[in-house]
Amino acid sequence: MSVATADGLTLAGRDRRFGLLLTAPGLLSLLIVITFPLFFTLFTSVHDYTLLTPNYDTFVGLENYEEALDEEYLPGSLWVTTKFVLASIVIEFIIGFAVALSLHATRRFGSIYYLILLAPLLINPVVVGLLWRMLLHSELGIINYAIGLVGISPVSWLGDADIAFWTVVLTDIWHQVSFMAILLVAGLAALPREPYEAARMDGASTISCFIHITLPLMRPVIAVAILLRMIFAIKTFDIVFIMTKGGPGTATDLISYYIYRAAFFGLDIGRASAMAAGLLVIIVALTAYLYRYMNSLK
Amino acid sequence: MRLFLSVLAALALGIGAAQAQTIRILMETVPDTRYIQELLPQFEEETGIDVEIEAISYIDMHSKLVPQLIAPEGSYDLIVVDFYWVGEFTKAGWLMPLDDLVERDGVDVDVYVPKLMDLVGRVEGVLYMLPFYNYSMALIYRQDLIDDADEQAAFQDAYGMELRVPQTWDEYWKQVEFFTRDTDGDGNRDFYGTVIQGQRGDCISMQWANYLYSQGGLYHDENWNPLLDSPEAIRAMEYYREAVENYSPAGSEAYCFDEAFNVMAQGRAYSFVTFNILYAGFEDPESSEVAGKVGITPNPGGGLNGGWGWAIPNSSPNKEAAWTFMKWAESAAVAKERAMLGGAPTQAGIFTDADVVAARPYYPILGEILAGTKDFPVFTYTTEFVEQVGLELNLAATGEKPVAEAMASAQERLHALLVKDGKIEE
Repeated sequence: MSVATADGLTLAGRDRRFGLLLTAPGLLSLLIVITFPLFFTLFTSVHDYTLLTPNYDTFVGLENYEEALDEEYLPGSLWVTTKFVLASIVIEFIIGFAVALSLHATRRFGSIYYLILLAPLLINPVVVGLLWRMLLHSELGIINYAIGLVGISPVSWLGDADIAFWTVVLTDIWHQVSFMAILLVAGLAALPREPYEAARMDGASTISCFIHITLPLMRPVIAVAILLRMIFAIKTFDIVFIMTKGGPGTATDLISYYIYRAAFFGLDIGRASAMAAGLLVIIVALTAYLYRYMNSLK
Repeated sequence: MRLFLSVLAALALGIGAAQAQTIRILMETVPDTRYIQELLPQFEEETGIDVEIEAISYIDMHSKLVPQLIAPEGSYDLIVVDFYWVGEFTKAGWLMPLDDLVERDGVDVDVYVPKLMDLVGRVEGVLYMLPFYNYSMALIYRQDLIDDADEQAAFQDAYGMELRVPQTWDEYWKQVEFFTRDTDGDGNRDFYGTVIQGQRGDCISMQWANYLYSQGGLYHDENWNPLLDSPEAIRAMEYYREAVENYSPAGSEAYCFDEAFNVMAQGRAYSFVTFNILYAGFEDPESSEVAGKVGITPNPGGGLNGGWGWAIPNSSPNKEAAWTFMKWAESAAVAKERAMLGGAPTQAGIFTDADVVAARPYYPILGEILAGTKDFPVFTYTTEFVEQVGLELNLAATGEKPVAEAMASAQERLHALLVKDGKIEE
């Protein structure tokens, strides 16, 4: 039953209007803050805007996009980024889920585990990069020393193209895995107990409980966790900037560092904006796909 | 009452401070910046101008400077300019010409080593900077090993020549091979003839330049025609690759100068081709296990010239005070004091000044090193060139690309950038 008020709106309608009024300033500033840089980037990407001639006098249409697509090392960088995103998400998900399950089952010292788990996440990524670069020094680093004690010969963590890629992936995992774990543990805590009790009554094993109850119920949370990590992973910059500069060769040349070089070393903000816009399209497409997938689960 | 008085005093001080001029300088966290900071109280006392030095690491400097330089009024009164940026900054018109000020105040700019004046002073006849310090590159080596009688005899046996401070590249390379060893007999080499700083980009670009000069190669001829696919350049890269494979720590293709420095400072290497300003660090027992055992000498065939200059950006809010500071920092007395602290001089007389030499006997050698250096190509796109050629060099150093192919790409890239800059025709 709805109660009409003096201005002809229902009580719920007035609530809605009041709510809109309250959120309008926030929404509006959010809109400006988000859309302005977006349109500015798109606007810059169709002009010949360089740091040497920082003006919008020359409209060049899609020339910046064409130039970017012609670059010899761009496809390689996209491929490295794809591998990096896939590898770090898959491994982080597996480790993160395992950690989440054990944390969920923990009865004592939970907060201590959380603290330890969260510590890497609280460190600035630049510091993470510097820290690992020191630990992984091929001659003087403590890691090669430690594995030397058990008779393993020293590893060229950052000097060998194949190893360096995985070194960067593992550093990123070390840094970010707890984010995945925390999201998943929150999801686990919100699961209803009844299905498990019922399954136990029917004599289901822990493993079949996991496969038939936990996984299906957790699917929306998993999708969100993967989506967020994917967006962050595509944008990874600091670790390669500090640890490898994209090298050796092009082994760790992630797209965000590639775009940074076009902007700040190449001085070509127009071309860098074109690449950034292209990257945005990719991220939005992936996000839209995952979002639809998530909705289909409900 | 006392409280009231102290509040009054604080207010008075606050007003005084507000009236005093303040200049802001963006600098890199390097020893020479530290020496300036140590001497700052002198300047502040003499002039009453407060100086705020913002010292940050090199990797952040360029991206922090550019927005301030583009702005009509930036936040820095005075800046320091790496030679990489000279072409770009002057082409963009960000730096203020200093000729009028120099003439007005009768500042003698002929005291500077001409090589540095050309690099971080004048551009096409206009004075934009005063050279601040030089980081020309040199060969740092273990003097104690050269002086060792057993090593001398062994070297004589092996190569039929005397073991001495290397004068030629061939001699140096024999020493590099000779000193690379497996000292504990576990089958892995653990003492290295040389240390490579091979990380992609800036690190490898700088060090490889010395290899190029050692072979008599150059980046371009006097008409800016690029020469990176010349036989000299290819030979230089082959030497570099050989060092990575045989004479330098595994993984050094990812080192920058700090990591390479530590290998040498821990007593794990015979030699290191690097910036002369690192030498003071090797001589300091706090940072080095080999203090008192290292020498420095010109890179055989010539090293890379490098340096920083003081400049007043056109966006500087307080140009006059900035100029006052620049004159003070570059005055004969302060320049000498900086050298006594370990700074890398730019004025010719300081390398051989009696007091400086008494405190730091190797300074005349630094003068010789600088005199024998060669220039990196300085043009509008130097920064991008360093990145692009640094990638090709690194691909060759790691063996991912054959040497000749990488040098052909480097040549192509330099050519394209020079065309873009209008230095040469398509």
